[in-house]
Order: sequence, then structure tokens, then C-alpha cells
Amino acid sequence: MTAVAVRLVRLHAASRRLPAALALLAACAAGLRGMLYGHWDSYGALQLPLIFEAACAAIIAVTAGSPFGEPERATGRWLPYLRLGTAVTLTALASGALAAAGTGMPLAGGFADIVRNVAGLTGIGLLCATLLGAPLAWTGPLAYMVAGAYGLYTDWHPPVLSTPWLWPARPPHDAGGALCAAVVFAAGLAAIALRGARERPSGDGPG
Amino acid sequence: MTAASAPAAPRSAVARRGAGSAVLGSGRLLRLELRHNAMLWLLPVAFALFFYNGYREIMALPPMWNLRAMTVQNRLLLDLLIPVTGAAAWMGSREGRRGITDLVAVTARPRWSRQLVIWAATTAWAELACLACVAVVYLITARQASWGGTLWWPAVVSVAGVPTLTAIGFAAGAWFPGRFVTPLVTVVMFFGVAYGTQAASGDHSYWQISPLTTGAVGIGAAPGVASFYPYLPDLSIAQVMFTVGLTVAVLGALGIPVARMRWLAAVITVTGLATAGTAVALAGTGRLDPHGMIVIPALHDAASDQPVRYTPACSRTPIPVCVNPAYAGFLPAVTAAVGPELTEFAGLPGAPARLSQVPLVYRQVSGNGVTVGGIGTGPAAFALPDQVPGWLGTTDAEFAAQLDEGLGLHLASHVILGDGPASAGAPSQAELAVIAGSVRFPPSVESRDLGPLYGQVLPQPGSPAALAARRFAALTPAARHAWLAGHLTALQAGRVSLEQLP
Repeated sequence: MTAVAVRLVRLHAASRRLPAALALLAACAAGLRGMLYGHWDSYGALQLPLIFEAACAAIIAVTAGSPFGEPERATGRWLPYLRLGTAVTLTALASGALAAAGTGMPLAGGFADIVRNVAGLTGIGLLCATLLGAPLAWTGPLAYMVAGAYGLYTDWHPPVLSTPWLWPARPPHDAGGALCAAVVFAAGLAAIALRGARERPSGDGPG
Repeated sequence: MTAASAPAAPRSAVARRGAGSAVLGSGRLLRLELRHNAMLWLLPVAFALFFYNGYREIMALPPMWNLRAMTVQNRLLLDLLIPVTGAAAWMGSREGRRGITDLVAVTARPRWSRQLVIWAATTAWAELACLACVAVVYLITARQASWGGTLWWPAVVSVAGVPTLTAIGFAAGAWFPGRFVTPLVTVVMFFGVAYGTQAASGDHSYWQISPLTTGAVGIGAAPGVASFYPYLPDLSIAQVMFTVGLTVAVLGALGIPVARMRWLAAVITVTGLATAGTAVALAGTGRLDPHGMIVIPALHDAASDQPVRYTPACSRTPIPVCVNPAYAGFLPAVTAAVGPELTEFAGLPGAPARLSQVPLVYRQVSGNGVTVGGIGTGPAAFALPDQVPGWLGTTDAEFAAQLDEGLGLHLASHVILGDGPASAGAPSQAELAVIAGSVRFPPSVESRDLGPLYGQVLPQPGSPAALAARRFAALTPAARHAWLAGHLTALQAGRVSLEQLP
């Protein structure tokens, strides 16, 4: 990798507030670790990782926004690759950090659950970034988190929500849930790489 | 007119005009903020989340006011939390996010005043969403419920909780404007509200103050709560005090950095915190009353302890079964489950003229454990279990099994064992056989459920009495009735052997 390429990656990372995002992902992992020391009932233990996974996904989605807008699009030949690399790297780091936080602790679902949920939620966040803009991209992962938490709740209180599109409610090694999460993640990556986060001419969103 | 009073009139007019224009200006500002508010755009998300999570769960419950209203309180605020807190944080961070803090600082209005208008607009849209959700559930329940009136307190708690969400979200956005703050504060709030209820333990817990907590932590929304006795608003009042106090405290704290209003803002903040703290302390004095609700002595109205008056709904069966009209929808299931027993025992000595439902009695034990039992031990009294069809996934078959195990066995044992000399000691094998042959246990009732009853009111499995019971059960209810009409006295006196059973 040339010095120019390294500089390009570094500048892109800085423009997306990657250092802050990495710090927050680490904080999420530390928060999960701390919470796992607590005593939770069955609902709580199952839903706890999902909350931190959604927080990580929302952080990743919010980083997709560009402060430069059109000039960057016009001149950045490598922009799609940089966007793709940023999203994939952050997703992998978030999954790894959360999995590390759960090491040796009673983490519901385990590593497979974390990877599936973080990837799927990040996919939703990236799609929201493409459609709504990065500042409002958190709405998708967090709204989906509420639905996912409810799906887990219905394991005790029928009627059970068994659709694979609500993958957090499916068992960790369920193929249907993993496939749906992978499809959403791939769609999110493709959308963010090719189109980038939406930029609103009137500012950064409603309000 | 004197020289002294002459200038007073113009000053007063100017002051009035000033106040009027200030109100008009605030109204215009509020209208602008209402039109450009993020919460307006997030209303579809709020409705979608409530429909997917809360509404479907609530509508799957039996149409009883207590169940549905209490579940609304338990679900609605959690479903609205993400869009409401997120929108408020987004709106609160607007000036900082767009870098216009200095630009608007020179306007005529103080920052606190501007912020309160933005918060009010956000809250107005959020309350609209909350009220719309409540209205839909309540209107549908009003059409479906067989009896009872609207329970307003659970809705009031939800409505009072919305400004708290917006105030906390708004303040976080205003104090820490940044692209990551909105999702982070939203997640933290979700975690706090959803997991706050997990810390509650027992009826003295301070954590009952969570606006999601409906009634006793170990019971929640159950059919037996607030059916025979009025819904006690004690805990709801404390929860409303808490949410209002917290809202006032947070909004007051927003004004503390404003130099001119620092003292006023501090007083408002302290007042709000004191109110919220008092509410928490009151929640800690709660105790579970026998009717399944939390009594807070300082807020309790003794008039609420009187039972609700009602005309029971009765079945047209050989022995009429009468239930609280709120349970009228379950009457067909009850009569279907114990219909053969009603036919068999009607008119026999010791059989009740009618069966009347009595309330369940709740008692707090250690932690969140609650024991549930029926009052009244006579053959004419029975309690319907809380596990009615549709409640937390209870099926019709499970409900019927509980009735056979409870009401059917209760009726049969009272009639067969009676009050004669034999009942004083151990029942005869023939009596046990007749009881077992009279009560139908569905396949879902397993022998481990009945184990404690063997030798008391049921024969041991595989014993000669169990075989005789199977023979007796093969008869029709009318045939069993005819045999019992002729032999019950002899059976109770111990003069009937197993071989003599039909």
C-alpha cells in the first residue's frame, strides 16, 4: 500500500469520525461486559446482547455520513471502496469486541448470535443511511431492536413470532435467520458503497 | 385623573400589549416548531412499533378492561420510547449540530424559552401518538368487553411518561450535541426503562415507580386483579408524581446555564427532584393487598376497598354457574368443561343450588413470589383461575383442564364425601372410585399433577378402585345421576363395595 493510499484511508476515516466511533464501540463492549455481571431474568439475559448490538449498528450507520457532500462524490474515485471498507471493518470490529466482552460470561446466543445480529442490524442501518441520511440512520437499527426484543419475549408468551426476518428471535444457528440477516447486510453494504449516505440539500434532516 | 395616575394607564396598556405579543409570538414559534419537528416524521415508526409489538399482544388478550388497560401501560411507553426519545434528542441537539448556537443567542428570546418551545412541540406530537394508540385499544375494548368501565389510570401513567422521555432526550441532545448522541441516549433510555422493572422485588420495592409497572410486580396484568374490587390508583399516582417531577427537574436544569434565570431554574429543578424523590419513597411503602393491587397508605382511599357491585352472568345448566360479568365470555367454556358434572350432581343431597364465582386472593411471599388462592370453601363457591384462554398464551384445553382439576373435583368431592360420618375419616374406596369416575381429566393433566390427591379424593392408579372408576366413567352423566340418586346415602355410609358400582 502506498503512502498516498494510507493517507487517503486515514483522511476518510477522520472525515467519518472513525476514532470516536471506535471509542464508542469499545464502550459498548465494556458496557455489555459490565451488564453481564448482573443478575437478569430469562427475558433480560436474552435481550441484553441485542441492545448492545443495536447500539453498535447505530454507531456504524451514523458514521456513514460525509461532511463534504458533492465535491467528495465528484473527485473520489476510490470512494465506494472506502465506504465499503469502513462499513465492513467497523462491523467486524463491533462483532469481535462484543464477542470478546462475552468471553467467559453467560452470554445468550454466543458468537454466532452476535455476528448475525450485528451484521443484520448494520445492514438495516446502512440502508437507512442511504434512504434517510446518516444522521437519522439510527432509526432503523433501534426500531428493529424493539421488534427483536419483542420477538424474544414471545418465546415465553405466544403467539411466537417465528419469521426469519426477525432474526434476533431465532436460535443462533438457525439458517433462515442467518440468511435474512446476510441478505440485509449485503444490501446495506451495496447501497452504502454505491450510493453513499443520502445528503439533504436543506440540512441534515427534519428539525 | 390625577397627575400620578395619568401615566399608569398607558404603561398598563403597553404591558398588556407586550404580554399579548409575547403569547402570540410563542404561539407562532410553537406552530413553526410543530411543522418542522422530527417527531412528526417519526410518527409512522411509533405507530408501526406499537402495532407490531403492543397492539397485537393486547388484542390477543381476552376483552377485559383490567387486562388490556394494564397491558397498555406495560407496553405502550416501551414501544414509543425509541422514536420519542430519539426525536427529542435530535431536536435538542439542533442548534449545536448545525452550529447556530451563537447565531440564535442574539435573538430576543432567551435560550431556555426557545428550548421549551421546541420541547413542547416534540412532546405534543409524541402525546398525539400515545393518545392515538390508547384511543384505538380503548375503543376496541369498549366494543368487545362484556362488562366494566374504562380504566383511565394506566393510560394516564403512559401519557405522563411521554414528556419525561422527551425531556430527557431533549436535554441530552442540548447538552451534548453530536452525531452519536441521539442513538446513544435512546439506547440508554431503552435500557433504563426496560430493565428498570427487573430490579423490582416484592411489594415494598422502590423500583415499582417505573411507569411500565402495572400493579404488583409478581402479578402484573391478571384477570383476577381489579375485577371484583376497583382498580387502586395508589401506585399510578406515585408513578405520575415521579414522571412529572422528573420532567420538571430536567426542564429546569436546561435553564440553569441562563444567567438571568439561574435561580428560577434551580428552584424548579429542586422542586421537580423533590417531587420525584417523594414519589419513589411512597412507592417503597407499598404493600400487596388481597385483591392483587398495590396499596400505598399515604395515597390510599379506603372507599376503594369496597367490592364492585354487579349482577352475575349465570348459565342455564342443571346447576347454574354464575360468574362476574367481566368473565361472561368464559362462561360457555366453563359450562362445557364441567357440564357433565353439573348434570350428574344436580339435585343430589349436598349439591349446591348454584355455583358462584368468588375472587382470587393474592398474598406476597418472598421476593416476587405471590400465592394465589380462592376464598370460600363451601361447595357453592369457586374461583376461576387467572390462566383464562388467551392470557399469556393459555389455550382452551389448558383452561378446561384447570377447571376439571379445580371446580369439577371440588364439586364431586363435596357431593360424594358429603358431611357424613365417613367424611370424617378416610374416604372409602367406592367413594374414591365414584369421584374419579365423575370427573373428566383431559390428557394434559398428568398423574404428577394429581399425585397429592391420591388416597384423599382419588384412587391410586392401577388399584381396583381405579378400575371401578373407569367402569363408572363409561356411564352417561344421566345414568350416573340416576345411580347416585338411589345410592348416595349408602355410598356415604360405606355400605357400597367396589363390585356394587355399575
